[in-house]
Amino acid sequence: MIMDEDQVLIKKILGGKKSSFEELMKKYNKKIFGFIYRMVRNEEVAIELTQDFFIKIYGVMSRYNFEYKFSTWAYRICYNLVIDYIRKNQAQVDSLDDDAITQKQLLESENYVSEDGFECLAREELHHYIWKVVDNIPVKYRELVLLRYLQGLKYDEIALVTDLPVGTVKNRIFKAKEILRTEIEKDGMFN
Amino acid sequence: MECLTNTKIQDYIEGTLNSVESAMARDHLIVCPACKKKYNEYETLEKHLLQPVEIIPPAIIERRVLAELFPLLPSYTSIFALVAASFVLLVTGIYIYFDFANNSIIQAIQLTTNTTSNWLATLIKVISAVFSGVYTIFEAMNRVLKLLLKINLGAEIIGLTVFVLFTLLFYPIFKLAFRKLKG
Repeated sequence: MIMDEDQVLIKKILGGKKSSFEELMKKYNKKIFGFIYRMVRNEEVAIELTQDFFIKIYGVMSRYNFEYKFSTWAYRICYNLVIDYIRKNQAQVDSLDDDAITQKQLLESENYVSEDGFECLAREELHHYIWKVVDNIPVKYRELVLLRYLQGLKYDEIALVTDLPVGTVKNRIFKAKEILRTEIEKDGMFN
Repeated sequence: MECLTNTKIQDYIEGTLNSVESAMARDHLIVCPACKKKYNEYETLEKHLLQPVEIIPPAIIERRVLAELFPLLPSYTSIFALVAASFVLLVTGIYIYFDFANNSIIQAIQLTTNTTSNWLATLIKVISAVFSGVYTIFEAMNRVLKLLLKINLGAEIIGLTVFVLFTLLFYPIFKLAFRKLKG
């Protein structure tokens, strides 16, 4: 059986090599923290959950099935951890559904307004703005957008991680982009 | 031709339409400014989504995880090695101290050479003074134990016990410092 880079690391970790776990953690830390942070929108909580994730991964590593991609298995554990937290702390993880803050207020609070107004926002600022809007869409869409674009997963991989049918995954991501486009257009950001 | 749905436009951007549907969508986008506008917006959105804004995780995460999973516990072999080394050092020190008390080393140095002996004699004096101080402390501890518990372990055993405790207490710090030096 041909093993990929992650699986070679896991073999070494299971053999007791601690430095391989450090290597694995360095590789996934940014992506996992980025995903959790964008889902819970609280740095302290994101730090705690990222730690819990790595500790959990290490604890259950012996149960990893080498027939599957490690990243999909790891993202599934991460996804379940985050969803559990969100279910228990629903009120703190609000979104566009119940968020009274408009996108313009969001921009103003982040000092995104340039001298000539919204129309003259630089490309970089538009980029940050779009991702700010992503952070504010409802969780059921946000989680899929993040898995698709932040983690770079394909529709079928997202379906494995979330336990949703592939069709639902695709429809929700399309719907999410529709919401994003509408929100961005409403604020005149495409001009 | 009817305007393209949002789904159709997104499918077109992702390249998941079949060749006929794709050609029809392309033709429609040429003649319909409303659909073309939407297409441009979706395309811009897609482009930005494909380049996520990076969030740098705080370094504390890795440190905490490693501390939780691999606590810096001393290994038995290294404890034994350190204790043995400490004991050898202690015994040598005490030997030098008593030898110094009899002036045999100093006299030997003075007999062999007069010019280079000054700094060597001073060094031996300093080492002896340090060990004499340490030995006096161990002796005092032994006396206290004798008084309180009616047991006479001897200053050397007390010294060894202190070294063992010292090693156990400071070993994690030594190990951490060693790890940092190693990079």
